[in-house]
This record gives sequence, C-alpha cells and structure tokens, in this order.
Amino acid sequence: MTVQASQVAAVVIFLSMFALIITDKFERHVVTLLCAFSTLVIVFGICMHSPRAAWETLAVQNIFTPGFWYSAGAAESASTGINWATIIFIAGMMIMVEGMAEAGFFRWLCMTIARIVHYRAIPIFFTFMLMSALLSMFIDSITVILFLAAVTVELAQLLGFDPVPMILSEIFCANLGGSATMCGDPPNIIMGTSLGFTFNDFITNTGLMAGVSMIAVVIYFFLIFRKELEQDEVHQNLNVHPDPMEAVHDLRSFRISYVIFLLAVVLLVTHAQTGLTVAAIGVIIAAITLLTAWKKAPELLKKVDYRTLLFFIGLFVVVGGLEQTGFLQIVADMIGKASGGNPMILVAIIMWVSAFLSAFIDNIPFVATMLPVIRALSVSAGVDLSVLAWALSIGTDVGGSATPIGASANVVGTSIAARSGHLITWGRYCRSAAAATCIVLLISMGIMFIRYF
Amino acid sequence: MAEKQVIISVGREYGSGGHAIAQILATRFALPFYDKNLLEEIATGKNVDVRNLEKYDEIPKNPLISRTVRGFNNSPEENVALMQFDYLKKMAAEGTSFVIVGRCAESVLKNVPGLISFFIIGDKEVKQERICRLYHATARQALDMMRDHDRRRKNYHNHFSEWKWGDMHNYDITVNSSRLGVDETADFMEDYIRRRILQW
Repeated sequence: MTVQASQVAAVVIFLSMFALIITDKFERHVVTLLCAFSTLVIVFGICMHSPRAAWETLAVQNIFTPGFWYSAGAAESASTGINWATIIFIAGMMIMVEGMAEAGFFRWLCMTIARIVHYRAIPIFFTFMLMSALLSMFIDSITVILFLAAVTVELAQLLGFDPVPMILSEIFCANLGGSATMCGDPPNIIMGTSLGFTFNDFITNTGLMAGVSMIAVVIYFFLIFRKELEQDEVHQNLNVHPDPMEAVHDLRSFRISYVIFLLAVVLLVTHAQTGLTVAAIGVIIAAITLLTAWKKAPELLKKVDYRTLLFFIGLFVVVGGLEQTGFLQIVADMIGKASGGNPMILVAIIMWVSAFLSAFIDNIPFVATMLPVIRALSVSAGVDLSVLAWALSIGTDVGGSATPIGASANVVGTSIAARSGHLITWGRYCRSAAAATCIVLLISMGIMFIRYF
Repeated sequence: MAEKQVIISVGREYGSGGHAIAQILATRFALPFYDKNLLEEIATGKNVDVRNLEKYDEIPKNPLISRTVRGFNNSPEENVALMQFDYLKKMAAEGTSFVIVGRCAESVLKNVPGLISFFIIGDKEVKQERICRLYHATARQALDMMRDHDRRRKNYHNHFSEWKWGDMHNYDITVNSSRLGVDETADFMEDYIRRRILQW
C-alpha cells in the first residue's frame, strides 16, 4: 500500500464521519468512535502498517508527563491526535457547571438581574445580552443559553413580552463571548491547548475583537428589534415580581458553587503566571466541586455529558488520521497557493471560509482539522501562527452564529423558544443573525489588518 | 362514560374515513375529541397564535437543516410534534379520557393502561371515491392526495416511533373500513371498546 491509499482512506473516513453527523441519524459520539476505530485499523494498520502513528494519535503517554499538568511557560503541544488536555478540562468544567446548576446559581443570577432592572423588557434585553457574553467567556455557551433562554421564556410569559428577539440576541452574544477567551468555546480550548496559547493571549486578541464587535452587535440588535421591544414595554404586566432566591434550594451549596466559579475564573486568568495547565485547572475545579458536594458527588458525576467527551476522543483520532497521512499538508499548500502568498488575503480566506463552513457544519471537527493546516501554512507562507489562529478562532466561533444549526447554543436556544410555542424558523433566525455575523467578521478583519500588518 | 380512563387512538390512511370514525366514537362515548384542535389548546395555554404552529403539524423535519444537541432540536416540525406528545402524556397522566387521531398517539401513550389503539385502512378505489366526493377532487387528484398525505404521515410517524406506521403489531386492531363502511366500522369498534372496558 502506498501513502496515497492511506490518504484516500483517511479522507473517506473523515467525509463519512461528517456526512453521518450531518444526517443526525446516529448519535455523534457513536459516529466519531466508529470512524476512529476505522482510522486505527484501516489507515494506520492496513494502509500504513504503522503502530507508531496509531500510538502517537492516541497520545495517552502525554497525560503522564509533568508538562501536561504544569508548565512554567506556554508550550506548544508537539503531539498530534487526541487532545487529552481539552477533554480533561471540559470534563472538569462540566462537573463545576453541574454543581452550579444544581445549586440554582444560574437561575438566581438571571432573576436577580431582571429584578435589578425592574423587570422591564428593554433593560432586560440589554443586561441579558451582556450577561450571556460575560458568562460564556468562562462557561460553555450551551449551559449559559440553557438557563438564560429558559428564564427569558418564563419572564416573557409572566410579563407578557415576545421572548424571540431576546433569545436570538442572547444566543449571538453567547457565541461572541465564547470567542473572547481560551475557555469560552471548545474550538478555542482545542486551539489554546494545541498551540500553547494562554488565557491572556486570547483575551488580548480575540477578546479585543469580540469586545469591539459586542458594542456594534448590541446596537444592531436593538435597532432591528426596537419596535417589538418598545411594544413589549407598553404591554408589560408589572405586577408579577418573582423572587430570585426561590431558585436557591440550599444556601450552603449555592455559596460554595459561587466561590468555586470565582476560583475557576481566577485560575484560568492567571494560568500563565501559575504555570497550571488547563488540564490541571479542570481536575482541581472538578475535585473541589465533588469534595464539597460530598453526598451529591455521584449524582453530579452521572450528569456529566460523557457523550460529548467520547465525541471529542473519536474526532481527534479521525483528524489524526488525516494529519499522519500528510493530507492536511496538501490542504495547507492549496490554501497557501490560493492566497498568492499575500498574508492579508490568507487571513481573510481563513476567517471567511471558516465562518461560512461553521455556519452549516459542526465547528469542533472543523477546527481540529484546520489546526494542523494553519501550522503548516504558518511555515510555508511565513505568517505568524498566532495571527492565523485568531482568524480561525473568530471565523469558527462567530460563523456558527449565522444559522440555527451553526453552533450548539443556537440549537438549544431556538428549541427552548419553540417548546414555549415561539417557533424560530431558518428565515426568522438568519434575518437577524446572518447580518450580525457579517458585522462582527468585518470589524474583526479590520482590527486584524490594522494591528498585525 | 366509565370511571376508568379510556384513551382511544386512531391512526388512519388518507381517505379511509378514520377521522370520521374517531368522531363517531368520541360522540358515542362522550369523550373529548382531538385532532388538529390539540394544537389550539396548546397554543391557548402558551398564549401564542395557533396558526404559527399549524403550519408544522404532522410534518417530518428536514434532517439537513436541523440538528440535535443534548435532546434539543431546532426544527419547528419536531418541536410542534414534541409539544403535542407532551400534552398527550400530561392529559394521560392526569387520568383524562379522550379520543385522539394521529400524532403517533398509539406509540406515545403505549404504556398507558387505558389505551385502545386502532389503525384504519381502506381499499384504494373506495378511498379515492370518498376523497373525490368530500373534496370535489378529480380521480387523479384524489390519488395524488392519498399518496402525498400517506407518505407524509408515514415519514412523520416512523421518525418519532420505534414501530412502523400501519404495522398491525403496533395497534390493538387494524381494520379495513371499506368492508363495512364508516358507520358500521364505528359500530364494530364501539363493541370492541365496550368489551375491553368490561375486562378492566
């Protein structure tokens, strides 16, 4: 068997995985695990006869190195294959978030903010957008939208306003907030751990772009939804005032979850200084959550979304197959040629193509695939790797906002609205979100051109 | 009606008269009748316009433009279906008796002890004649309507149910309404329901 045969096999498996994920017939983790198994047997075994490639892709040995848990400076992970740091960090954060949800933290926060603004539609609209972005900087956007959209629907029913404009704005801000930090969105976690970027690297680059874009987006959403919001203000029933503390069943757990969340934020913000890797932070946060939850610990562990973790494991192996066979180097060369060696065109291509594809396909497999590509492009085109990474990050994180299926938060938010009787069709969603996506991409591209070239 | 809970679910081929039979049974047993009007109750409860929901009633979702995340799906078709399933389960859990047409009720309420499920089929020519008469359609149009409606119902049902639409193993009785006609088929089903109730 030649190298070409292994490349063809790796590409066929990869495309089959994507097609099966899109059809939604089988659970995503089942698809990626089966494709991972096929990669190990067909690509590494039958085509390449290379146990070394399989071992490198499984990357289990990395977990047992000190650098996996503690690194004095940000170090780029040289390995390909399964990104265990991402998986361990996400698992740790899942446990923390389950603890917070169990304690009623998110519902309490939403209701408290609604009360502070006197349950008025327009102030709720602004504050919930801001809260959505801020929370998504540290917590996965699915959880943020899960609670925010549910409270929005509840307040809409109590106060008599249309929840759809708010939910659409909250979804967009959750995705935008997630793009600002290393831990806000799975693509950023994968990028940060693989390329050795720190929290500060993200916040001072993608964070800056997200921050400036956020101002434009808030104004944009207010302008397009102004009529509906102003009507809602007039018709609002102001006699009903839910008490935020009703969300809290156990005050001790609530306080502990609050402290753990703050600790997680501090550890993430300072991880470049402390030397703790995100994998270590994930384990520390999970351990504290489980120890303080004590009797509820088994319950929290049961609630962890293991399917997502298995999905990641399978996905990394399949992408590892593409990388080990050298196929991604070919893709990188093609993109390099298309840009004609112009770094600005290269950045624009990466950002807009990533955004367009992320609007329709899952951005996690896309980023995992593109990482080795931008690594190769950085060398061949002589462009700073970090610049390509920021373009990829903004493209994938924000591009997913354009359609109802582009990002997980969009699916959860539109579904929560639909279950309350407020159906959000593709047309209604894209009318507001597609233009907002373009606004953010244009602003980000402008910032990148001014700052890096 | 008996004190015991009775839920009569009627699946049907288009043109078989299943809907009319279900209405007759609802009258004879003095039970609330649900078909599309189920959405009206749901819409009233949620304070939304029912016309926005009706557009997506009993229609299969398009898998290429929908996605599922942690049990949440963005498809309006899927969410309208789930809303109805939840409402049916809620009524069943509250002990309410009713007659329900379509909406995968025989699968959704499979474990409810008071469920009696029927599937009504019919001969092609008889269904065609009935559609022509009721909807002032030509013979060709009637055939097209039968094909389109049945395909949609089948896709919808099979997406949400682990059992196949019209598979006799999924229903207590599958009956051809063309043999006895609508009224006598309803008589036969009424007799069956009364016998079942006597056994409870």
